[in-house]
Amino acid sequence: MGRKLVIDPVTRIEGHGKVVVRLDDDGKVTDARLHVVEFRGFEKFVQGHPYWEAPMLLQRICGICFVSHHLCGAKVLDDMVGAGVRSGLQITPTAEKVRRLGHYAQMLQSHATAYFYLIVPEMVFGIDAPPEQRNILGLAEAEPELVRRVVMLRKWGQEGIKAVFGRRMHGISSVPGGVNKALEAADRDRLLNGGPDMLSVDQVIDYAQDGLRVFHEFHAKHRDEVDRFGDVPALNMSLVDDAGNVDYYHGRLRVVDGHKRVVTEFDYHDYLDHFSEAVEEWSYMKFPYLKALGREAGSVRVGPLGRLNVTKTLPTPLAQQELERFHDYTKGRANNMTLHTNWARAIEILHAAEVVRDLLQDPEAMQTDRLLVTPAKEAWTGEGVGVVEAPRGTLLHHYRADAQGNTTFANLIVATTQNNEVMNRTVRSVADEYLSGKTEITEGMMNAVEVGIRAYDPCLSCATHALGQMPLQVTLYGPDGSLVDERQR
Amino acid sequence: MAPMAASSMNASVEVAAGVPASILEHFDVPGGLIYGIGNDGRQDDGLGWALIDVLEREGVCRHAQLFRNYQLQLEDADLIRGMRRVLFVDATKSPEVADCALHAVEPKLDFSFSSHEISAASILATCRLCFGHAPEVWMLAIRGYEWELRMGLTPASARNLRAARQHLDCAAQAGLAYPDPLLTTGDRHERAGP
Repeated sequence: MGRKLVIDPVTRIEGHGKVVVRLDDDGKVTDARLHVVEFRGFEKFVQGHPYWEAPMLLQRICGICFVSHHLCGAKVLDDMVGAGVRSGLQITPTAEKVRRLGHYAQMLQSHATAYFYLIVPEMVFGIDAPPEQRNILGLAEAEPELVRRVVMLRKWGQEGIKAVFGRRMHGISSVPGGVNKALEAADRDRLLNGGPDMLSVDQVIDYAQDGLRVFHEFHAKHRDEVDRFGDVPALNMSLVDDAGNVDYYHGRLRVVDGHKRVVTEFDYHDYLDHFSEAVEEWSYMKFPYLKALGREAGSVRVGPLGRLNVTKTLPTPLAQQELERFHDYTKGRANNMTLHTNWARAIEILHAAEVVRDLLQDPEAMQTDRLLVTPAKEAWTGEGVGVVEAPRGTLLHHYRADAQGNTTFANLIVATTQNNEVMNRTVRSVADEYLSGKTEITEGMMNAVEVGIRAYDPCLSCATHALGQMPLQVTLYGPDGSLVDERQR
Repeated sequence: MAPMAASSMNASVEVAAGVPASILEHFDVPGGLIYGIGNDGRQDDGLGWALIDVLEREGVCRHAQLFRNYQLQLEDADLIRGMRRVLFVDATKSPEVADCALHAVEPKLDFSFSSHEISAASILATCRLCFGHAPEVWMLAIRGYEWELRMGLTPASARNLRAARQHLDCAAQAGLAYPDPLLTTGDRHERAGP
């Protein structure tokens, strides 16, 4: 009799989801799916609220990437009041630099969480190590100095967020047409020079390089396994600047194929002309795809791996040096190796640290008299679209408001949703490699499926815009539908 | 150093000669931290913050740092490393807690970590492992009942909040008793390992 395997919840991701794997009579994987079973609510929740509340409310979807939601929403508000890119009256350079500073500080902080807290323990102890060991607390026991550095690294990112947004979590500084405060000298000096309880930016850059060393040591020991694990094709998408290189805050959306050829590039305001979303009855999370190519060929990968596949260069020296190594590894082709997402993430931690250093040294980020533009009332458009490259990938907000300024429509397409198809491909690939034909399914094998999902650092509560509690779950079913095994943590 | 009498539920404890009059005074010292955990947008999850609100309103803490956060994070190991005494205040769903309960936190890597959850015991253990020091840490749990997306405490949890505040005025000798007899004395309490 065939079997069905359930992993529920999938652990160390943000949100509640489960994986179901179906096996035939010979124990071969016939199907594997990531189900997201959270309720979708925030897009409705904001309707009727004043338009300017939307970025404040929507950032509360998540305690991890709230800065991305806040900034993305702020870009929408810029559009709505007539200070967006299409209006000709754009926010000031100071406002943009302050926003970028907060954005990159969050990139560093969020990536450090995903990489060091959730992923590195598996690199150090192995995918099949006991669960009580392969986590950050197990790492603290085995490598306390590494964890001490990681704690201080993340803290530095959080202090950067606080310097810009006023609070470590759910702060507010971006307002329609700009920001409400510039970077203060005391914050700048503390972040640059450190102190008794704080790293300096140079130490942060050193520690970020530690992260790369951890990946390379792991990769050197397990090269075949790492490279083979979840090697799945997808298009790659990222915001890019005029030169076609990644821009984490603004730009056009570019999609490249496996040969890094540009498939399409467009103004994100026109996303509805390019993207459609498929729905499956077994998941609340939609499946976006490029209309011109259809669902199978038109699904994109976003996030660290997608971005570094799209970009040709990074504008900071240490990250650029590592990017060249990353690009050389696949000899000019796009990198489809799921676990190389962690390499890309480590490169982005380093890049974010370098960018924050440069912005801290930029006097324009401290110009208190150049924070806002105030468009005329007639400039009100009542509609806007914003896109940023959030740590997990391309994030889009779209709002409309009525003449009284109350929100009538909100649409969010988050990175995890964009990655839905490629995550499912990864689950199938890893399940096939680790579970197919095995007479005994071990906890380590089940964890391999979770490792594939965690590489994307998915945020399922963002993806479904969840309200409420968010506990993720792998289930194994036989061909007759009988439950064979299940893991829930 | 004079030994402090143990309460009915816990084992022996020793404290410094300058015995504080109340539990609150025990924490209201230089190097003291009272840390409210929760979210006031989710009804009774706001109990931890509500107690901090009360203490701020009353202006009764002259020395201790008052702090709010949505959840404990691993970085809190860094936050508490320089502290002498820490009181975490959090809402609990446990029916075993009638209104509030105060207990000492022992350092223990209980592997509770996720991006949204880590225990006070793990924070304390991480602090000791990574920074070589662990302060004296207590948890004040206040019973809550509703966790919906709404501002304001339920009437029942508001009563429990008042009980928790009153509890902080209890005599320290009666309220602060460690389950760990290995606890040493002095201005800084170093604690035994898990």
